[in-house]
Amino acid sequence: MEKTDVRAVFEKKGRAVFISHLDLFRTMQRALKRSKLPVWYSQGFNPHIYLNFPLALSLGVASSTEFMDFSVTESFDLNKGRDMLNSAMPEGLSVLKLSEPVYKNQDIGFAEYKMCFYGGAAPEYMLEKLNMMMELETVEIDKRSKSKGTIKIDIRPYLDILNAGIKDDHAEINIRLPAGGTLNINSNVFADTFSDISGITFDNVYAERTKILIKNGEIFM
Amino acid sequence: MLKEQLESILLKVKNPSRYIGGELNSVIKDKDKVDVRFAFCFPDSYDVGMSHLGMKILYSIKNRRENFWCERVFAPWEDMEALMRENNIPLYALESLDPIKDFDFIGFTVQYELCYTNILNMLDLAGLPVRSEDRTDDMPVIVAGGPCICNPEPLADFIDIFILGEGEEVNIELMDLYAGMKKNGCSKKDFILAAAGIEGIYVPSLYDVSYNDDGTIRSVIPNDPHASPVIKKRIIKDLNEIYYPESFVVPYCEIVHDRAVVEVLRGCIRGCRFCQAGFIYRPFREKNKDTIYKQTCSLCESTGYEEVSLSSLSTSDLSDIEGTLSLLSEYTDNEKINLSLPSMRIDRFSDELMQRLKAIRKSGLTFAPEAGTQRLRDVINKNITEDEIMRACKIAFKGGYTAVKLYFMLGLPTETDDDIKGIAELAEKIIDLYYNDPDRSKGRHVQISISCATFVPKPFTPFEFEPQASFEEINRRQKLLLESIRSKKRVNVSWHNYKVSILEAVLAKGDRRLGKTIYEAWRSGCKFDSWSEYYRYDLWMKAFEKTGADIDFYAHRKRSYDEIMPWQHLDYFVSKEFLISEHKKSLAAEVTPNCREKCSVCGVSKAVGGACFGKD
Repeated sequence: MEKTDVRAVFEKKGRAVFISHLDLFRTMQRALKRSKLPVWYSQGFNPHIYLNFPLALSLGVASSTEFMDFSVTESFDLNKGRDMLNSAMPEGLSVLKLSEPVYKNQDIGFAEYKMCFYGGAAPEYMLEKLNMMMELETVEIDKRSKSKGTIKIDIRPYLDILNAGIKDDHAEINIRLPAGGTLNINSNVFADTFSDISGITFDNVYAERTKILIKNGEIFM
Repeated sequence: MLKEQLESILLKVKNPSRYIGGELNSVIKDKDKVDVRFAFCFPDSYDVGMSHLGMKILYSIKNRRENFWCERVFAPWEDMEALMRENNIPLYALESLDPIKDFDFIGFTVQYELCYTNILNMLDLAGLPVRSEDRTDDMPVIVAGGPCICNPEPLADFIDIFILGEGEEVNIELMDLYAGMKKNGCSKKDFILAAAGIEGIYVPSLYDVSYNDDGTIRSVIPNDPHASPVIKKRIIKDLNEIYYPESFVVPYCEIVHDRAVVEVLRGCIRGCRFCQAGFIYRPFREKNKDTIYKQTCSLCESTGYEEVSLSSLSTSDLSDIEGTLSLLSEYTDNEKINLSLPSMRIDRFSDELMQRLKAIRKSGLTFAPEAGTQRLRDVINKNITEDEIMRACKIAFKGGYTAVKLYFMLGLPTETDDDIKGIAELAEKIIDLYYNDPDRSKGRHVQISISCATFVPKPFTPFEFEPQASFEEINRRQKLLLESIRSKKRVNVSWHNYKVSILEAVLAKGDRRLGKTIYEAWRSGCKFDSWSEYYRYDLWMKAFEKTGADIDFYAHRKRSYDEIMPWQHLDYFVSKEFLISEHKKSLAAEVTPNCREKCSVCGVSKAVGGACFGKD
C-alpha cells in the first residue's frame, strides 16, 4: 500500500506530563484512530498504527516541541489534518504542526530545556551555587548502562547553560544538553546533580523541553 | 482543588497518570452549577476499577443529568496512600480533584467480598469516620450497591443506604429526592428516612436484628414505619431502551480490561447451582443486534479503542449470536478493531466462533467444566456433557490450538474422591484426543492447564444451605488430584489460595455482627485483601478471635431450610422454595433445564409481571 510519512510537532503540558512514554504511544494511537485521518496500519496478523517518536521525553517533563511520526495512505491538507487530530486529543496534548519529516532520529544531537527551581533556598543562592557548579572541572554522575552496570561519567563538558536568572520567587535556568542515540542527558539528571552539588533540596522543579536540535545545532524538523 | 499539592508528589509514585484525572471523555462540570455531587468509588486500584463496566454505565447515566456531577474515585496504591497521609491530602475525586468529604454522596460499588476493608480505608482516607453512627449530619451520605449487596449485612455498620439490584433508575431517583430535599433544607437523617421509601433502597439502621441462643437469627424487624419488612431489588425491564454509555473515559495507563465493552445481555439462562450471578441477575434479558451494533460503533468511535468485547455472563447464549457477529465484524474488520468474546460455553463452541476468536490472538482456549464427572456436573446443574467437552477440544485442536485451560472447583457439595480423580481422567482423555487426532499440528505437544478454585457457597443460590469444605479436606483433595495425574509433563495444576476462599465464604454469608470483625481487621492493617501480596490471613484470624466471631459458624455449618438467613428480608425475586427445591434436586443429581427450554418457576417471572421468554 502507498504510504507517506507525516511528522507531527506537539505540546505535552499540564496533566499530560504524567503520561509515561509507553502510555503516550497508546494514547496517540487512539487519538489517531479517533481523528479519522487516513492512517497507515502495519501489515500483519495484528495490524496496528505505526508510530515513531524520534526522542523520548522523561516522565514529569513538559514540552513545547515533541515529535511523532506516522504514515498515511492518502494525502490531505496538513492544516486540516492538524485540526482533526487536535479535536481528538486529550487534555494537555496538542498538535502545533504537521509536516513532512526532514531529518532522521539519528540526526538529533541536543535538546534545550527551561527549568524552574522552586523552594529549598532563595533564588539568588541557587544561582550562586549554579555558578560554583559550572566552575568545577568535573561533574561526575552515576549512569546506568546496559552492558557495564553503573558507570561514572563526567557531564561537565556537556553542560551548556544558555542563561540563568531570577523570575518572581524562583530561579529559571535555560540549558542545552546532549540528546539522541549517542549520549542522552535528560533534564532530571541535571536537576538531581544540581541538587546534590548545591545541597539544596528543592520543593519543586518544573522542566520543559523547548527545542530539539540536530548535531550541527539547527532545529530538528 | 488539590492539583498543585498532587503535582508535587506524583513523580514519587508508580503510574502517576492514574491519580491526576484529565483523561479523555472524563466529565468536567462547574461545581457551583450542579445540585448533587456524587463520588463514585471503586474500592480497588484504578487499573481494576477502570475496567469495571457498571461504573462506566452509572457514571454516564448520572452525568447525563445537567444538575448532577458524578466523579470517579479509586483506592490509591500503597505508595500513593503513604504520601497522601504524610502530606495531609484527603481522598479526592479525579474530575475536580476536590476532597470527597465535601460531596453530597459517596457511593461504593461492591463487586467482591475481599474489598470490604478497602471501603473502610477509603472512608478513612477521605477524612470521615468509617462507622455510620459516628458521621454527622454535614457529612456525605454513604451508599453502596453491586452484587455483594445482595447480602450487605457485614457492611451494615458503615453504609447509610444500600441499593439493591440494577442501578440505572434507582440512582437517579435517589439523587432527585436528595436534590429536592436539600433545597428545602432537610437534614441528612430526614433524607435517609425518605429514601427508604424508594423501591430498591435498604437502610440498614431501620432494622433490628435479634438472635437465637445458638447464634442464628431470630428476626429482622423494621424499627421505623418508613421501613418495609421486605426490600425488593430493582431491575431494568428492557435493555434496548435503557441508556448505554456512548463513550468511556479512556485511561492513559494500561488497565486490566483496556477496551470498549458492550453489554449484550443480562442474567443467565443456565441456572448453575453454585453461581450467584446466575440467580441474582435474573431475569434473562438481551439486546437485539441493532442495539449492539449501534453501541459498538459509538463506543469505538468516541474512544479510539482497538478492541471491543461483547460482555455478559454467557455471551454465547445470545439468541442471534451468529447474526450479531456477522453484522459487527463488517464494521470491526473495516475499522481494524478486534472483536473479543469472553464467557463462551463449551456446548455453544463452534467452528465459526473459533475462527473469530483466532482472528484475534492465538493464545489458549479456556473452558469451565467446573467438575470432573458427569454426576457432579449434574449436581451443580452445569449441563455440559463429556462429549461436548471433547467435541469443543477437537474443534480447537483442528483449528491449531495446542493449549487448553480448564476451570474446576474443589469442595463442591457431594464431591467424592471419584469426582477428583475424574478431573485428572478428563485431562488425560483430552491429551489422548490430541495425540490421536491425525489433523493436529505436527511436532507440537498439547498443554492442559487445570485451575481449581475452592467452592464458596453464596447467598441466593441453592447451595446457600451448604457448608464450605474444611482446609484439611481441600488440602487432601488437592493432593489427591496431583497424585491422579499421570501425564505430569502435559498437565499443570494451579489453585486459588484456600485462605482467601474461607474469608470470602464468611463475609458472603455473614451477618451484621461481622462489622466489628471487618473494622478490627482494617484497624490492624488489612486492605487490598484480593491482592495476594497484601492479604494478611494472620491479621484476619486475629480479628475474628478478638471480636469473638466464629469462622465455622459462618462458613462450615450446614444451614437448615427454615433458618432465617441474614439476607432473608431482601427480595431478589428468586423464591426460597425454588432454592430449596433446587438444592434437593442437586443432592439427587437431577438437572434443571435452562430457562429458554423450560421455565422452572423460580419466582422471577411472576415478580416482573410476565414470562421471561414471551410465553408462559
